[in-house]
Amino acid sequence: MTATDLTPSTPPAPTRGAAPHRRRNLAAMVVIAGAVVFLLVKGISGSLNFYETVNEALKQQASLGTSTFRLEGVVKPGSIVATATGASFTLVQGNNHIDVVNTGTPPQLFQGNIPVVVSGHFASKQSSTFVSSQILVKHSSTYIADHPDRVKAQNGTVR
Amino acid sequence: MKRHRLTITGWAAAVTLIATAILGILVTPQDVTQKEYSRFLYLHPPMAWVAYLAFGVAALSSVLYLWPRTRREAFDHLALASVEAGVLFTGLVLVTGSMWAEPVWGTYWVWDARLTATALMFVLFLGYLAFRRTGGTKQNIARRSAIVALVSFIDVPIVHFSVLWWNTLHQGPSVLTPGLSAQGVHGSMAWTMLLSFVAFTLLFCWMVGRRTALERLRASAGGSELQEAIAARRAEGTSVEVGA
Repeated sequence: MTATDLTPSTPPAPTRGAAPHRRRNLAAMVVIAGAVVFLLVKGISGSLNFYETVNEALKQQASLGTSTFRLEGVVKPGSIVATATGASFTLVQGNNHIDVVNTGTPPQLFQGNIPVVVSGHFASKQSSTFVSSQILVKHSSTYIADHPDRVKAQNGTVR
Repeated sequence: MKRHRLTITGWAAAVTLIATAILGILVTPQDVTQKEYSRFLYLHPPMAWVAYLAFGVAALSSVLYLWPRTRREAFDHLALASVEAGVLFTGLVLVTGSMWAEPVWGTYWVWDARLTATALMFVLFLGYLAFRRTGGTKQNIARRSAIVALVSFIDVPIVHFSVLWWNTLHQGPSVLTPGLSAQGVHGSMAWTMLLSFVAFTLLFCWMVGRRTALERLRASAGGSELQEAIAARRAEGTSVEVGA
């Protein structure tokens, strides 16, 4: 090496890890793009509406037939009957109702007078009985304090 | 002065978080239907609010960075800090939501519009963070990231309004309702929930303040290190010449 040679004796290797780094970034982007596509497909294929209400299901019963869909309604108080394979109960919406026969253990919060979503199908094209294999509890955004002095007003609301 | 404000914010966040925990666990009554599980009310919705806030701040900062008249490196730092906090809180929203859903709904997860859009929001902003690690100059990365943040932000209102636009298993909003009220939540439960919103907002401000300061230091340190390296290299060449 001459005295005026400014070239470093050990050449730096800044590009040594660059290629794997780029590959890693590319792999991360591919994974994320794949995840986005998967979620979009899931969202669209699952349809944006997660369930049909009792009124909607009765209105569309001819076209729904015995195909599988999710049904939402409020459990009629006093309608729950334990069966050997699960429970049967009635879902209501306004004046309409659908009887549900469910197979499987209901969720722990399952009870009368709460909205639920059941997954299954009508027993037949003309039947008003819905055969369900899953119950999901749909709780509202109302939170009422649970205490022993709670009273029910004449209009049915709790205070 | 700024550092002083940040310290006060940190302490305020700590105090309000502790107060929320005490009120939420020991003082407030349980819900008549959900029983003890209703205490997730003081954890899950405020985290979701902070996620919205974080991505909102990131989107606004990105606009200010992209607009030539307002372009400052500080806006890029703020967007990065906000997205990092937003991704963290969205991840926590998904975890706490699943923990709440299993005993109450009867399942950890469903592909309804709210949950799917939230998962998409998480992945989109995770993509923003991955995008920042791709090559290019600092300015190019900042500009491209700002565009990614704005595109990703489209999903945020979809997440919030999904429960109003479509039939979802997820309940409707408790506080961020069209009338901005918490009338569905009774008594001390409502006040504790609103306190939790304040507490998590303060925590977010503190986190973003600290992270932005760190990014500013890193940027300035990166610049000075480069200058020092150039000076050292020049000095090395000069000393060899003198020695010759």
